[in-house]
Amino acid sequence: MKSEVALENVNFASDQEIRWCPGCGDFAILAQMKKFLSKQGIAPENIAFISGIGCSSRFPYYLETYGMHSIHGRAPAIATGLKRMRPDLQVWVVTGDGDALSIGCGHLLHALRRNTDIKILLFNNRIYGLTKGQFSPTSSPGLITGSTPNGTVHKPLHPLNLALAANSTFVARAVDTNAKQLTETLRRAAQHHGSVLVEIYQNCHIYNDGTFDHAKNNKIKADHVVELKHGEPLIFGANADQGIRLNGVDLEVVQLGFEYREADLLVHDEQAESPAVAQMLAAMSYPHMPEAVGVFRSVRQPTHNELMPDENPTHASRQKRISELLLGSEPWTVS
Amino acid sequence: MAYVVTENCIMCKHTDCVSVCPVDCFYEGENMLVIDPDECIDCALCEPECPVDAIVADTVPDVEDWLNLNTELVTLWPVITEQIDAPEDAESWKGITNKLQYLSRKPGLGTQ
Repeated sequence: MKSEVALENVNFASDQEIRWCPGCGDFAILAQMKKFLSKQGIAPENIAFISGIGCSSRFPYYLETYGMHSIHGRAPAIATGLKRMRPDLQVWVVTGDGDALSIGCGHLLHALRRNTDIKILLFNNRIYGLTKGQFSPTSSPGLITGSTPNGTVHKPLHPLNLALAANSTFVARAVDTNAKQLTETLRRAAQHHGSVLVEIYQNCHIYNDGTFDHAKNNKIKADHVVELKHGEPLIFGANADQGIRLNGVDLEVVQLGFEYREADLLVHDEQAESPAVAQMLAAMSYPHMPEAVGVFRSVRQPTHNELMPDENPTHASRQKRISELLLGSEPWTVS
Repeated sequence: MAYVVTENCIMCKHTDCVSVCPVDCFYEGENMLVIDPDECIDCALCEPECPVDAIVADTVPDVEDWLNLNTELVTLWPVITEQIDAPEDAESWKGITNKLQYLSRKPGLGTQ
């Protein structure tokens, strides 16, 4: 086993030429991931990144870990298999709003439902970038794109609501250029035992520039973003004078200092067994409500591997078991 | 890895680069800009924007001194997030060599 000293400041950059458009938000995410991995203390050969298809999914090429650039939407399935066979590896999935929520939606839900110990990073740029600018399941209504010349008409999916519905045990949102908050989120995701979904707001400045301006522009974001902190009331605003409270079964924004005080506000509880409040927080959308960033939910439940311990851990025992299953006796009688 | 502002910026200080940087990692001195190598995400947008080609990748030969200078000066200068007008005599300084002697270590105004 390598000493801790040897693992510090390992350079995780690969030798591959990066093919993202200059200015892509993916550069920011890659930069923070490399910094985080270099301090994590896990050797590169014990880490794997599985991706699907899309700009997001070029990510594994640019890290000096194991990686697989797999097929469209299927990264969660492949990662589930990998984690099952190699529980010793730290397994990440990198996907996008198209890959994970169009073709890959089914795989995503079940990987999360099973509480497989894989860390899914969903780069949400609200567009199909690699294929040059068609709308995606998360595109804002009214968006004019190559495939929607009259504007999109349907309401978008919110990936975090899907994740919570699938009982994902760690659900978080980060912003590509908010380096500190992104790194902290990656750190917590890395440490979690169980299914992780991190939605990362990522700017595609070629095909959907500015879609997250409300959450990234320093001049306005204080009024449109609320940071979730476990055990603390939800307060936001340029003057920290707005709060979120539960009014019956709805969340509402209130002004502090007159009718309402801090004690009236919703206090964030990451560890609540029920995902109901987290669902409401995840559904808050600009411009009607501020959008929440940080960790929505972090609970510990038995993982997929813990629920189904491997009864056939050796190669020989697996061969025998497969033969028995394929060629064994018929379990029914015909009368 | 990062991008580095080098000699051509001194006394020219066009700031076109600032308008394209997605992470606001430019810092403003009196007559030059520098890039914070820790914050730079290597997206390469700034390099072709500079009208006097002052920005290079930190992998080009003989760039260590400039990289060290950028690293040092970002601790002294304020961040600049919006493009401003170049100095009036910027054109006359274009292509002049040995401008390092004119570098002012005083901070610029930055973006408020």
